[in-house]
Amino acid sequence: MTLSTPSTADPTPPLDTYTLNMGPQHPSTHGVLRLKLTLRGERVVAVEPVIGYSHRAHEKMAENRTYAQFLPNTSRQDYLSGLIYNLAWVEAVEKMAGIEVPERALVARVILAEFNRISSHLLWVGAFLADLGAFTPFLYTFDDREAILGLLETVTGSRLTYCTGRFGGLSKDLDDDFPRRAREVVAKLKARWPELVGLIQDNVIFRQRTEGVGRMTIEQCRRWGVTGPVLRASGVPYDIRKMEPYGAYPRFEFDIPTRTEGDVFARYLVRIAEMEQSVRIIEQALDALPAGPILAAGSLGVKKRLKPPAGTYYSAAESARGAYGIVIVSEGGTEPYRAKFRTPSYANLAALQEMMPGTMVADAVAVLGSLDVVLPEIDR
Amino acid sequence: MGRASDLAAALDSGGLTSAAPTEQAFTGAADSRWVHPAHLVAAARAAKDAGFFYESMTCVDRLDPHGVFELVTTFSTYEEPGSRLALRTWIPKDAEAPSLTPVFGIAEWNEREAWEFFGLRFAGHPNLTWLLLPEDTEFRPLLKSFTAPPPSQFDDSLNTPAPAPADDAQHAQHG
Repeated sequence: MTLSTPSTADPTPPLDTYTLNMGPQHPSTHGVLRLKLTLRGERVVAVEPVIGYSHRAHEKMAENRTYAQFLPNTSRQDYLSGLIYNLAWVEAVEKMAGIEVPERALVARVILAEFNRISSHLLWVGAFLADLGAFTPFLYTFDDREAILGLLETVTGSRLTYCTGRFGGLSKDLDDDFPRRAREVVAKLKARWPELVGLIQDNVIFRQRTEGVGRMTIEQCRRWGVTGPVLRASGVPYDIRKMEPYGAYPRFEFDIPTRTEGDVFARYLVRIAEMEQSVRIIEQALDALPAGPILAAGSLGVKKRLKPPAGTYYSAAESARGAYGIVIVSEGGTEPYRAKFRTPSYANLAALQEMMPGTMVADAVAVLGSLDVVLPEIDR
Repeated sequence: MGRASDLAAALDSGGLTSAAPTEQAFTGAADSRWVHPAHLVAAARAAKDAGFFYESMTCVDRLDPHGVFELVTTFSTYEEPGSRLALRTWIPKDAEAPSLTPVFGIAEWNEREAWEFFGLRFAGHPNLTWLLLPEDTEFRPLLKSFTAPPPSQFDDSLNTPAPAPADDAQHAQHG
């Protein structure tokens, strides 16, 4: 007898679908995410992300404390680009209250935020390759990331949950030696990239596991509101830093890297290219860093009991994962009446329901990893 | 004139917008409009046809003093800078809001969130169940009237009775 296609006379009914739980403790779910996979054989028929395991009620907390008291919460939503989140909250409240920010602080914010973006992408590259079974790149990227964390620590005092933004500037000035140290880190990153990319990009296993996997078209992205590198890998140059320029971004030259393939490999390429653009911004910003105060003069008076005028405000920023939106409803009091956070991973993860069906179960890890989801940001 | 203003004008001429019930302004969008709940789905469909994506939805408790929930839905485009359009709707306290899930996939999660945190129901939602809160949560934490339940509601170990002293005495005897 040969193992050919089953004959129609076979009395056993065909196996239809079955359910496989991935997570909430699966190592590739990076945090606490559970995927309910419906499989037919080795193929994914449907997927339902189950979230909420790290819900901490940040939106409720925002209603119960002043605008300044909420600052430490911000970087705990997305712990990989926490500095960007911290500055996004500060900028949102500055817009509401009409607070002027000194030039030096604006440029310093860009430098810090872009370093934070690179560190987030580096962690992604390492962890994503580890998901695919490659261990070595993790060591390279963490070595580089360590240099960035060390640099940011000297300015902000933190390595992960940054809280350096203040309404009207930054809590601490960049010291005189900072530009030199920053340039050293940049030089280290630039020297390492060819080696890192050579290690990963031409690896045949990596290419086979990522090319043509988890494709998303622009139309599919639009249905789910996908943003960030996932969207840009599908060919849309959508980046809040260009679409709704904020802070000092308009004065620096940088490109929005895009690809058209829309697959897992394209998302990797976009993130690598984005790190190079971030370095480009940092170099320009270091050259243009003006002297002067880091915190608005007399802003000690503004800071503690801010009462922004009543109204509903939307403020956006580009995090390492996409468009981050802050909606604040003010009734004119010292606390927000309501705060809502539109987090990029939320929409990107929801889109998995359309992205994953049709792939093999072994590719599910690659597809999920390519989204770079941060669960605490989704659960808030 | 950008795409957001064009869409807003199209909604106006289609009779889908209504007068503002409050003076509170929306800042941070190219344009904003008030929409009657009965027209929300049609307005969302128009946004989708115009190439907009569903960006965010915020539910606001305005029960005191207005007796309504306010839904602020923002749409934006991938192509044009600064093309955010905000649609605001007041849903009376005991009424159901229309679900936008058939129009935009991501609305499903946003509406589940509004339901579990505010108790606002969405007519036509395919799966109105808990998203972020534990299944079977009975309280609505983002309501202004919410007061925190006792810790025992979150931690089952607080509900198990402590071992009776008699057990300890028995162990001591055996030992």
